[in-house]
Amino acid sequence: MTKIATTLERSDSTSNSLGPVKKPKRVGRWILFAVMMVVAVIMLYPFWVMIVTSLKSEAQFLAGSGFSWLSWSRLTSVIPIGQEVLSSTIVCSASIFVIVLVGLPAGFAFSKLRFRMSTVIFLLIVSAMMVPLQAILMTEFVNITRLHLTGGYLGAILVYASLGTPFSVFLFTTYFRGVPDELVEAGIVDGLGYFGALWRLVVPIAVPAIATVTVLQFIQIWDDLLVGLFFIQNTSQRPITVGLAVLAAGRTTSIPELMAGSIISALPAMVVYLGFQRYLVKGLTMGIDR
Amino acid sequence: MADITFEGVTKIFADNIRAVDDLSLHVADGEFMVLVGPSGCGKTTALRMLAGLEDITSGSLSIGGTVVNNVLPKDRDVAMVFQNYALYPHMTVAQNMGFALKIRGYSKSEIAKKVSEAAAILHLSEYLERRPRALSGGQRQRVAMGRAIVRSPQAFLMDEPLSNLDAQLRVEMRLEIARIQRLLGVATVYVTHDQIEAMTMGDRVAVMRGGKLQQCDTPQDLYDHPHNEFVAGFMGSPPMNLLRARLDATNGPSIEFGTQRVAIPTSYSSSHTLPSGDGPGVIFGIRPEDVQVVEAGDHAGTLTTKVERREALGAEILVHLSLVNAAGTSTLVVDDDGAVVTRPTTMVAKMGPRSGVAVGDHLRVRFNPDRFHFFDAAGGDSLRKS
Amino acid sequence: MSTIRVPTTSSRWLTLKRRRQIAGVIFALPAIALVVCFIGVPVGQDVYYSFTQWDGQTATWIGLSTWSQAIHNPNLWTALRNNGLLLLSVPFALGLPLCIAVLLHQRVAGWRIFRTIYFLPTAISWVVLGLVAERFFAYQGTLNSIIHALGFSHFSTNMLGYQSEALVALGITFIFTMVGTNTMLFLTGLATLDPTLEEAARIDGAGPWRIFRSITLPHLSRFIQLAFVMTVIALFSALFSLIFVLTGGGPGYATTTVEYLIYETGFNQGDFGTAALYGLILFVITGIVGVVQLRLIGSNE
Repeated sequence: MTKIATTLERSDSTSNSLGPVKKPKRVGRWILFAVMMVVAVIMLYPFWVMIVTSLKSEAQFLAGSGFSWLSWSRLTSVIPIGQEVLSSTIVCSASIFVIVLVGLPAGFAFSKLRFRMSTVIFLLIVSAMMVPLQAILMTEFVNITRLHLTGGYLGAILVYASLGTPFSVFLFTTYFRGVPDELVEAGIVDGLGYFGALWRLVVPIAVPAIATVTVLQFIQIWDDLLVGLFFIQNTSQRPITVGLAVLAAGRTTSIPELMAGSIISALPAMVVYLGFQRYLVKGLTMGIDR
Repeated sequence: MADITFEGVTKIFADNIRAVDDLSLHVADGEFMVLVGPSGCGKTTALRMLAGLEDITSGSLSIGGTVVNNVLPKDRDVAMVFQNYALYPHMTVAQNMGFALKIRGYSKSEIAKKVSEAAAILHLSEYLERRPRALSGGQRQRVAMGRAIVRSPQAFLMDEPLSNLDAQLRVEMRLEIARIQRLLGVATVYVTHDQIEAMTMGDRVAVMRGGKLQQCDTPQDLYDHPHNEFVAGFMGSPPMNLLRARLDATNGPSIEFGTQRVAIPTSYSSSHTLPSGDGPGVIFGIRPEDVQVVEAGDHAGTLTTKVERREALGAEILVHLSLVNAAGTSTLVVDDDGAVVTRPTTMVAKMGPRSGVAVGDHLRVRFNPDRFHFFDAAGGDSLRKS
Repeated sequence: MSTIRVPTTSSRWLTLKRRRQIAGVIFALPAIALVVCFIGVPVGQDVYYSFTQWDGQTATWIGLSTWSQAIHNPNLWTALRNNGLLLLSVPFALGLPLCIAVLLHQRVAGWRIFRTIYFLPTAISWVVLGLVAERFFAYQGTLNSIIHALGFSHFSTNMLGYQSEALVALGITFIFTMVGTNTMLFLTGLATLDPTLEEAARIDGAGPWRIFRSITLPHLSRFIQLAFVMTVIALFSALFSLIFVLTGGGPGYATTTVEYLIYETGFNQGDFGTAALYGLILFVITGIVGVVQLRLIGSNE
């Protein structure tokens, strides 16, 4: 009896001390709930528009009422959606692969294998995070064209990879600074060279950081328009965002079909986002959160 | 298995700090050598040079007769136990222990055999499939040890391996490590700042300070015959009493503390190079257990002291004494705030737990005449003839 | 005495430290090369080409005349003014998420679901959000439906069609797109707030507003700074897809920002030199904001 009583008491006191803010009064809580519902409706508005609009034929859309699967059944004939999703997937995964491949060893070097000027070089790379693509759009475009890389995916992959690398270097360096030096030294004394240490110790330890970089870059690249628009010249290799944007800007495609395409484009990023939310938050606050 | 030789090894870091200065030290095969000293004395740097984690600025370092100055860590065949254990977080206990063997291309069955042998020695057999984060501090320490012994290396290097454990576990592991080392008979260099670890574990102990080797001897020799004031003060708890004193020869050789004096047994004049006459004086050293209370009667060769503080440790009482001058008052000078300003002659004595001393008592004490130490007042070196 | 054998790996020059440094250089080199080739070099070229007449093929050095032409080009000033006006949306893009984060932090029933919902638009491409925003602001769009439903039919708007209002529509869309990210930042900040601080303040007799002012806000300041920098950078460099889909920079130049002007000048007018110069201007602007961010990172290390 006494034991139960004390446990009850304890759980009670902990819930009091850990509760973020004193529980508001009943009426206040209902107002709060209502406000949050309103915000939720606003935030869900885009999804509502996409879904409802896509379930109308063009005529029904103009009329403002009705229901039809027409835009979905015609989707593939209007937008080469399969090809575009494939393009997005190829560009996305290849770019992320390069970003991790290049950023992880660099982060290891900048945190554990300091060399002359490494701090200065690190800061220069990190400051490249602040260079928007638009600022170098013209020169980059001409360079990539001169290298004859705009025909396939390679140009876009290189541009995405180099834009994502500064962040990835920053994130991996910060992450590895939290790993004790002795861990690498233990591997060296155990008989590893630096390549061995990288592959057999550093990479396995970095899995959470790899996940963070992958998730953030996936959403970034999947959702991007600019690079795909300029650096993939072949229209049959367009990523989905470019396909949608070009059709939208042309203002000739029926809106329900455009919305159906938008849903397809939004799905992968949403799935990744819902599945890996915590890595996203970690990456965003990297460097100021500890 | 092999011996280890430091010959004039010096390490100068980029910012011109001489971390290790002209270190010469020989660790025999199978010997347990403890490097001890205050933080920043260069002991860890010496160990890291031995492991191949730091370059050697000058001098030569050899393992088993081979100069290893420029040999890669992996080719030195030494195993190291780190202060924070540095266990690989993504591997199980068994994988941690077998990793070095895996790198060297041992077969799976060989690795499993060696790991299970080592695990048995370390009482880790039940934990082989766990990951480090699921282990207690003591178990992690054992895994770190296991990682080293599985390799049967030329030498074990241990960098303060017990400093992250709580006091009780530390005592336990102290014995455990010493037992395993004796069992395997591998040359071991063990770095610590804890002089009790040094005394209890080492076959020999090397005391370092400011990058320089002060003395390397068996624990007992180190305790009985410290080569200088620093070693005398560093080894032993509480440390040796070091008192500034003047030598006086007018009534036979004696040491003068203010108005009181203690005769020096004649044997010391032959074993030590004591300065003659009224020289600059010496540092006189006496261990707390060699300060004996004289109950009554014979007052020859005793000093009158006053009890300033008293620390009861259970098995013994540490009594802080100050010498009393001719007027019968304490020579301890205290300023207005009660802080001690000058303490010309204070010392600590170890007394039995039942001795009913109280603060303020006057005690007559005698120094054990066989256990006098003399150090040069200027350099701090022992005046004992070698 | 055992014989002293000099091992083959021994080399005076290749010290352990040098080996470590060489490994470091090798590991860092691909990243350095990528960033130098595709970010560093183009920035340098920007500087060069900003002094030339350039169509993407041949560049003729014309010195400062590109600069003087650009400075006298009203479009640049329109774009800069548009960016400046859009800065007015930043307080909303920070304030609304701050309120939402504080609400979520009250942990009312279902707050986890609300959190997920609030963040969900973050995952969608701004291309798609632009399409949706176009549906919202269009003449037959949701905004007018709401106005009609409320019985103010004569107030129907066509915000995207008028120079004065299109920028407002763009600003509102921008705020909406930033809500998720910034709320996420602030909520993370609130989660790191030690609850005993609030408790201590409450015991000292502080009310909710006082606690927010004196404890919550100061604690969040680093997160607010970071959100500010990210929002401003997004405002200068991430609006392209929104504008491209929503307004195409128009009507006229009403929603053309500097980044859109670069695209417009380079690809639609073929004036690569001037576009490079505009790129340089954008680079300087984001650079200034970037220095602020670097100082934020630096102050924590």
